[in-house]
Amino acid sequence: MDAAEFFQYVIAGLKSGSIYALVALGFTVVYGATGIINFAQGEFFMLGGVLAVWFHSLGLPLPVAGIAAVAATALLGVVFERVALRRQRSANPLVLVIITIGASMVIKSLARHLFGPDELSLQEFTPGPSIDVAGAAVERQALWVWGLTIVAVLVLAWLYRRTKLGRAMRACSISHDAARLMGIDTARVVMVSFGIAAALGALGGFAVTPLTQTSWDAGAAIGVKGFAAAILGGLGNPVATVIGGLVLGLLESLSVAFLSSTYKDAISLLVLLVVLFVRPQGLFGKARRGKV
Amino acid sequence: MSGVKGSRTLMTPHLALIAAAVAVAAVPLLTPDRYVLKVLVYVGVNVIVIAGLALLFGHAGQISMGHAAFVGIGAYTSAYLVKTLGAPWLVGAIAATMLAAAGGLVLALPALRLRGHYLAMATLGFNEIMYVVFREARAVTGGNDGLGGIPYPEVAGLRIDTPVGVYLLVWGVALLTLLLVTNILRSRPGRAMRALHATENGALACGIDTVGLKIRTFALSAALAGLAGALYAHGVGFISPTTFGLDQSVIYVAIVVVGGAGSLAGPVLAAVALTLLPYADALVPGLTKETIAVMQDWEADIYGLAMIAVVIFAPAGIGGLLRRASARRAGEVRG
Repeated sequence: MDAAEFFQYVIAGLKSGSIYALVALGFTVVYGATGIINFAQGEFFMLGGVLAVWFHSLGLPLPVAGIAAVAATALLGVVFERVALRRQRSANPLVLVIITIGASMVIKSLARHLFGPDELSLQEFTPGPSIDVAGAAVERQALWVWGLTIVAVLVLAWLYRRTKLGRAMRACSISHDAARLMGIDTARVVMVSFGIAAALGALGGFAVTPLTQTSWDAGAAIGVKGFAAAILGGLGNPVATVIGGLVLGLLESLSVAFLSSTYKDAISLLVLLVVLFVRPQGLFGKARRGKV
Repeated sequence: MSGVKGSRTLMTPHLALIAAAVAVAAVPLLTPDRYVLKVLVYVGVNVIVIAGLALLFGHAGQISMGHAAFVGIGAYTSAYLVKTLGAPWLVGAIAATMLAAAGGLVLALPALRLRGHYLAMATLGFNEIMYVVFREARAVTGGNDGLGGIPYPEVAGLRIDTPVGVYLLVWGVALLTLLLVTNILRSRPGRAMRALHATENGALACGIDTVGLKIRTFALSAALAGLAGALYAHGVGFISPTTFGLDQSVIYVAIVVVGGAGSLAGPVLAAVALTLLPYADALVPGLTKETIAVMQDWEADIYGLAMIAVVIFAPAGIGGLLRRASARRAGEVRG
């Protein structure tokens, strides 16, 4: 394999890696604020793509359709938290797992009723031939994927570091009770976190649909991979999560290059299981001991 | 606790089992209809899987989002051994059960370190990996096209190739499974499981070997799923990867949730009801094809909403309703 070919695989890996990073960030934001792992996160990704296709087919221009899809999904995330999860906050983690699994079943199935069982496609944001970078072909849409990921990460970093809401979110991730005693409206923080997580997932779904197409059942697979990325970096740490996503994308792409494409999908799952068994706190996390 | 309550009520689990056995035996006398019997074979297979998952998830509190994979391991193992290698059916079924149990052991190891969310994700990942294997290991599994022409079960030279025969075999095994699980729940390991579910540290402090208990429960639960898979493969004659995907695992979890954690009768009734739902036309005369099509179309929504509604509004599920009803009846008799 020559350098250009290798580089091509790296590009492909970084492309899927940034999508995994966006979905993984959704897991991390919700986990940070609530300690919940949201099994419906993959469905937010699916909705981003499917809703954008639908809004676009109604005649909205592409950028507006994209923004509308992300906003609608964020709203759904907020409503989901408010309606199904808020009253169960103190419940056993299994109860929360079951609620988010049930929600993902319903969202997925409703998407099939509303938008049909077929693959849906979306035009590239800026159509045109691929760009040649050091002998490797880079699709224009891949640049959009990277650009939108970087913007999303920067906005999230600004939110966490510089705003009052971000400080409240960080306080919640350290201790819910202490945050509430300091006068932080923790219920609102949780609700907003779900909105942000949904928006991040939807943004990923919208950005990647021109490359991969989408359909009602696209959520589960990307959900598992996003979670694998989040757990690889270490849940709850946004920077580590993004690195985890990119590493996972590269691992997958290079396994296709050097091993075989047949078991490509199994690679990220194996990574997930190995990390869970060996180092559940992630590559960058510190081991935490449970209190008795 | 439920064991103590159960012994005071009129309907002991063993009486309920005898009643179920009578009902099972009566069905072929009432209807020789092939379609009805076939649907009931699906129900019986699910009852076996659910009995195992109720033990693991409902009683011991260890979630598994990978049980469809164990059913698949059993189905493919038995189908490959019997159809491709020409082994006797009994050998295939036993190998299916053992291999699924071995898979359960592999999955039990993370369960020792992981709880709640993490365990759910790990078992889910396991199911996805096995799904890729079922799809890609074409030499054994036939890939996406599936594996057809799997021979009927044969025990000691007796070929079970009639709808009634397959029905009786599946339900015979299902009733034996329920008897086994009932007895486990009423004895020491069952109490240990409930203790583990309630508080792991408390169980440890009482001297319960929680590590061994988790491993054994996982293995037994997976073994039952594997056995169910072997029965399914040979009873239906055709298997393909979609039957053993993540969606099916989620449905199994949904059934146990709706049936009620800490109950066996609840999940079994839920398994019967929810498995029959998309085939309601087999039992209820006069339902049109369109009604059934709509019901099948909305099946996933019904499962998902039922799951959420039960954990929010009736956390004890059908099992809780049953317990309350029988407690009330016992009170009336005494009063």
